[in-house]
Amino acid sequence: MNDQLKGELTVSELTHLIKQTLEEGFYGLRVTGEISNFRPSSTGHWFFTLKDSSCAISAVMFKGATWKVDFSPKEGDKVTVIGSLDVYGARGTYQIKCDSMEKSGAGDILALLEKRKQRYAELGYFDPKHKKPIPKQLHTVGVVSSPTGAALRDILNILQRRAPSLSVLVLPATVQGDSAAQSVAKRIKQANDLLLCDILIVGRGGGSIEDLLPFSEDVVIQAIYDSEIPIISAVGHEIDFALSDFAADLRAPTPSAAAELVSQGFLDTLQQIQSLRAALVKEMAYRLTLASQRAKQWGLDSLQRSVLSTIEKREYVLANAGNNLQLELKQRLATASGRYEIAKRELQALNPLAILARGYTVVTDERGALVKSAKHSNVGQILHLRFIDGQRKVSVEE
Amino acid sequence: MSFETDVARIEEIAQKLNASDTTLEESITLFEEGMRLSKSLEKILTEAKQKVEIVLSENPEAAEITPFE
Repeated sequence: MNDQLKGELTVSELTHLIKQTLEEGFYGLRVTGEISNFRPSSTGHWFFTLKDSSCAISAVMFKGATWKVDFSPKEGDKVTVIGSLDVYGARGTYQIKCDSMEKSGAGDILALLEKRKQRYAELGYFDPKHKKPIPKQLHTVGVVSSPTGAALRDILNILQRRAPSLSVLVLPATVQGDSAAQSVAKRIKQANDLLLCDILIVGRGGGSIEDLLPFSEDVVIQAIYDSEIPIISAVGHEIDFALSDFAADLRAPTPSAAAELVSQGFLDTLQQIQSLRAALVKEMAYRLTLASQRAKQWGLDSLQRSVLSTIEKREYVLANAGNNLQLELKQRLATASGRYEIAKRELQALNPLAILARGYTVVTDERGALVKSAKHSNVGQILHLRFIDGQRKVSVEE
Repeated sequence: MSFETDVARIEEIAQKLNASDTTLEESITLFEEGMRLSKSLEKILTEAKQKVEIVLSENPEAAEITPFE
């Protein structure tokens, strides 16, 4: 380097050397100063000056880094930035390029919180055995938060969508400033004293580390620890934390997430009911199929058929039997009547009266004996003639 | 009559429907009861109108509660 400096240099060569030296030599700097001449650009970058009582240095924070800053810097803010030196050759200026920025003293706050956290941890305040389960069946959820904040709005939206039957009770609290911790603690205590709800969401939306401090105060930690009602701590964004997170029964990364946790039981119950109903339908369908199969086997149609066929068989036999009987009867009758006619005719033929009717007479003597031959009667003898309709006494003359 | 006992009742019905000693006639009655209960529960869960109230004072002795907004 020394060799290079001995020779003749162009402005560019010198600037390049300065740039190389400064940028390679000054990085990972932690610089504390006061913000002045703060000029946010329309493209999202921040330009400003960091100064103290005697010196100033230009500073820039590009868009890619500014979103991580949880407060809006303004004139006079005392901040600590982490960054590196950056040389702008065209103007021959140097500036500090900031990667992160926090309000000065934030480090002290973090250290204080860490110490407090240790103390309560040692006292057993964060012990898992103190954690109460989040009930599945809820009726009323209490929300300790600002009544006008985005956190409450998010919670109400999510609960309306996921668990509209859940009642919400707002316990308005100041969530920022000196009175906030007392306000939050009082509301937690009130909810417990009056048993106002089944679960409490205690929280607020995002903010600077100072904004979130009330949720790390002793009174709040104590109130959460003493609470009989299960508490979900929901402070700030995912990356934020407060000691209430450790004391609470459950930590939600955001207020919205707390509302999702609270309504999960409702979604589960709904799902349970729906799957139970599906099971009922399936089981019933199975039973009906079974029954209809059985009905086919033993059912009306086949039963009727079997009864009918039995009846038909019997009828046939019956009809047959009847026919036979009649036939036989007829035959017997016919035979009998035939025989009767014959017998009658025989009888008639044999009846002597019938012979008399044809004009014959029966001749008997006085003693009543048949006179069958002329030789057996003498002249002068008295004979009896028997006609069909009467008798006559005659005497033989020759 | 409470939500929890209703859910438990549906579970019981599902078990009975599954049991082999339940007659077809009983199962039809059970099925109808189960469907009726599950539908009314689902209605309660999904069609209710959200109730939001606010506790006015910080008084730990009494809560003055009114509808929110």
